[in-house]
Amino acid sequence: MNDWILTLVTFLPLVGAVVIGFSPVRWARILALGTALITWVVSLVMAGQFNAGAPGFQMVVEQPWIGAFGIEYKLGADGLSVALVVLTTTLTWISILASFAPIQTRVKEYMISFLILEVGMTGVFLALDTFLFYIFWEVVLVPMYLIIGIWGGKNRIYATIKFVLYTLVGSLLMLVAILATAFAYQGAHDGQWAGAFDFVQLKAFAGTTGFADGLQLLSFAAFFLAFAIKVPMFPFHTWLPDAHVEAPTAGSVILAGVLLKLGGYGFIRYCLQLYPDAAQTYAPVIIVLSLIAIIYGAIVAMVQPDLKKLVAYSSVSHMGFVTLGIFVFQQQGMDGAILQMVNHGVITGALFLLVGVIYERTHDRTIAKMGGLAGITPVWAATFGFFVFASAGLPALSGFVGEFLTLVGTFVFNPWAAAIAAIVMVLGAVYLLWMYQRVVLGEPSAFLLGLKHHLTDMTPTEILTLAPLGALAVVFGLFPGIVLKTIEGAGATALDAVSGAAPIALDPIVPAVALGAVVAVVVVRLVAIRPGQAAPDDAGAQPVEGAA
Amino acid sequence: MIPNDVIVVSPFIAAVLVALAVLVVDLVAPGKRAPVIVVSLVGLAIVAGLTLYVGSHDEMGRIIKSLGLTSGGGDPDSLRVTAFGGAYVVDGLTTFLDIIFIGIVALTIVFAPDYLEARGLPMAEFSMVLLFAMTGAMLISASADLLVLFVALELMVLPGYMLAGYHKTDGYSTEGAIKYFLLGSFSSAIFLFGLAFTWGATGTTSIAGVSAALQAIVSGGAAVSPALVMGLGFLTTGVAFKIAAVPFHYWTPDAYQGSPTPVTGYLSVGPKVGAFALILRLFVDALGPLRADWLQVVVILAILTMTLGNLVALTQNNVKRMLAYSSIAHTGYMLVGLAAFAAGRIEGLQGLLYYGAAYSVMNLGAFAVVAAIQRRSGVTSGLETFAGLVRREPWLAILMTLFLLSLTGIPPTAGFFGKAYVILAAVQASEAGWTSLGILAVVAVLNAAAAAFYYLRVVVYMFMREPRSEEAPLGHGALMWGGLAVASVLTVALGLVPGPFLDIVGQAARAIGG
Repeated sequence: MNDWILTLVTFLPLVGAVVIGFSPVRWARILALGTALITWVVSLVMAGQFNAGAPGFQMVVEQPWIGAFGIEYKLGADGLSVALVVLTTTLTWISILASFAPIQTRVKEYMISFLILEVGMTGVFLALDTFLFYIFWEVVLVPMYLIIGIWGGKNRIYATIKFVLYTLVGSLLMLVAILATAFAYQGAHDGQWAGAFDFVQLKAFAGTTGFADGLQLLSFAAFFLAFAIKVPMFPFHTWLPDAHVEAPTAGSVILAGVLLKLGGYGFIRYCLQLYPDAAQTYAPVIIVLSLIAIIYGAIVAMVQPDLKKLVAYSSVSHMGFVTLGIFVFQQQGMDGAILQMVNHGVITGALFLLVGVIYERTHDRTIAKMGGLAGITPVWAATFGFFVFASAGLPALSGFVGEFLTLVGTFVFNPWAAAIAAIVMVLGAVYLLWMYQRVVLGEPSAFLLGLKHHLTDMTPTEILTLAPLGALAVVFGLFPGIVLKTIEGAGATALDAVSGAAPIALDPIVPAVALGAVVAVVVVRLVAIRPGQAAPDDAGAQPVEGAA
Repeated sequence: MIPNDVIVVSPFIAAVLVALAVLVVDLVAPGKRAPVIVVSLVGLAIVAGLTLYVGSHDEMGRIIKSLGLTSGGGDPDSLRVTAFGGAYVVDGLTTFLDIIFIGIVALTIVFAPDYLEARGLPMAEFSMVLLFAMTGAMLISASADLLVLFVALELMVLPGYMLAGYHKTDGYSTEGAIKYFLLGSFSSAIFLFGLAFTWGATGTTSIAGVSAALQAIVSGGAAVSPALVMGLGFLTTGVAFKIAAVPFHYWTPDAYQGSPTPVTGYLSVGPKVGAFALILRLFVDALGPLRADWLQVVVILAILTMTLGNLVALTQNNVKRMLAYSSIAHTGYMLVGLAAFAAGRIEGLQGLLYYGAAYSVMNLGAFAVVAAIQRRSGVTSGLETFAGLVRREPWLAILMTLFLLSLTGIPPTAGFFGKAYVILAAVQASEAGWTSLGILAVVAVLNAAAAAFYYLRVVVYMFMREPRSEEAPLGHGALMWGGLAVASVLTVALGLVPGPFLDIVGQAARAIGG
């Protein structure tokens, strides 16, 4: 059973997609949900088989694929992969269920795209061959491109092309880095290709001999760019608000819930473990960028007039904690970062679902037009409140634990950095609660009253999609040990790889150029948003109306 | 007992006979399409069989033994048989390239009837001219003498001019053909001029002789004479015209847009792969000793070609024209492989050959879809024709998406693996100390990302835009579907299970790369 369960959990959705392709349209929804649920169960079985105490990768499957280059079909799971795969399968079936009512056109194509997307995401988390990893990484791109582009909002085509181009630039440079790394390995092994793409072998090589300094610096940068765009880290985040706003609800859920985690996963798995010296070198820069992302995301979220964009920018801020936690190189920070990835997936996924619920009824997401939903749709208002508090990091709910652990780790590293991040937790509470106040509390706005009976409360299906996420938010908040136990080993392994490493001495020109590039990007963006000119995102605050 | 010389050239003779047979069939049954197609395809199958037979290790070993020669080294892949006093050569590379040419022509013939029928264009002439072009390409890949090489080149491109102007009553077709003809003849003349200089400097037209003479010059430490430098410059220019490398690419867009779509499909792959065959025979075989001198030129050509081809393709609103410019960009990616090979990486040559095969399949597939959509006379290849295609013709839309994704280089498709291969070679070369190759690799991937924009724009139109008007779906012939099935299966197979194909490419590359 151990040999094939990872293959099964990865490719089951593909089987479902093929079946849907040859079935009548009216079966598409139920077949997709069935496939996603079976995959979810299989992933739970997989998690059950996982032995958190054992080191290394488990349930490994290894088959030769492209013999000439030693490229293999190799899958394996450690705690990090297990946690993220279960998150993926869970969010996928929830998203598919949540798409039943909103998606009425080309249902078949939609469901097929979603299931193929699941194949790619799961594959990224499980692949242990860098070439295979890259293929899964790119496979994710196409269905998401279609999901935003076909079923998205008004400005969907702009958003989806932006998403693809950003991602592709990063990932193609990563391909060069993968090949360069493989070649360096091959060169150090008498020209033998065997193992040159095998993560386990590469990591063993990185831990003993280590890759050359120049290669580490460049390859790390290429991997970093690909992952930083995906996370997204400031200043590579500008595709995110567009993609989120235009994506259909379920697309946003997967985007925030899983796609952003691909970046965090990549940092931990590849950047730290293959190029530990370079990781030490770059860590200070990345920590600064993370802090900027945390602050910037929160401030920009505060002034968003659009509900979905607000949640999108809050993701930038929350994911900043993830990168911060990873790159302080402390056990608590690493655990907190991984925990934050899982929790962010659950909570932000739920927030996007809730925004979707209200958008289905109002066809508007402008915060200024909302108000007093508590009286009109009490169940929605209560659920929304629950997840808003979870997102703001209320203790006993899951959002708190991850951020707290990250802060502890950061404090050990540098108290000032921790202080800055902690202040932003307050900012987070401010923009979330202020938004909640404007949308849910107070007198019902004229706009909402005008909708009359169209503005109904949540349907049982919608409650069904949110209930598991709510349960997870509570369980993970009260018993974070469940997740921590699984991921600790993987986090510790990654830290072991880095902790022995020494930063590479940099020519002062390198940080200067990098800093210059960042400044240039920021300046260009600031110049681009001159007053009076409507920027596609980062728009200024709207006057608040109807707030009591 | 058939003389060995005849056996060695038998695939070439067979190809000429097939072309003549098509001519006869059209005389016997004028205007009939079915017999022409059957004769062409069966003939191509025979040519392919002969090519594989002559190129097999056993047969080559037998001929070598019967000539009383020793087979050289122990590696069976490096076997080579010459005929007609060393003017004609068969080795692993010849066989590989010939099979690609035969495949290209077979697919073009399969894709053409629907389009031609709708416009009242004759099939027999089309097939015949195409087959003659193929004989030229086959002769290029088997040339062991510079003069044969030039004759072969002309034999390949002259039918190309005819094909481009094939739609005689269409102004654009004629315009494209004239531009193609004028610039093509001009570049042939330049090329010939370069050959003359090379002959002058080395005193021989035999490729092996030229190589040996140059080797003597280089290893003697003598400076390369100005005449040879000029010769090299002219040759490079002539070849750059043929492969449509920037800045010698201006004929391409007009010729491609004006030609009937199946012809465009052929022109974008056939002469291009043929010209790369020429490069392999000329630059790698004959001018190999001067590698260090032409390497940097190739690097610069590759960067210019990729970047400009992509930038201009970004702004095109006509799919045929867009594919024309993108084919310029693909030339650039193939040049990356060549540059890596010049820098001493055999993987560069393998990547080039792999890319050539992958590019042929996916580009022909994409043009086939355009041709299929244009089955109704008067339908343009503008982007708006593709609006909402998924509603009218879901299968065509899905196949087009596959080909475009492959051209973009998204795994798991042929195009991705091809790109990965040439980039791998460039990265390897850069780690061996060729910094410019590392820069080339980065430029190549950034270009690939930019290319995604215009390829995906077609997908946007097909899937995300509403059709202008509701048109009834057109029926498509079984041949068209069969051809598309072959192209799409190959596109996926080359990317998903490249293993067996890598072995073939490796053999072909060893034939000249050592």
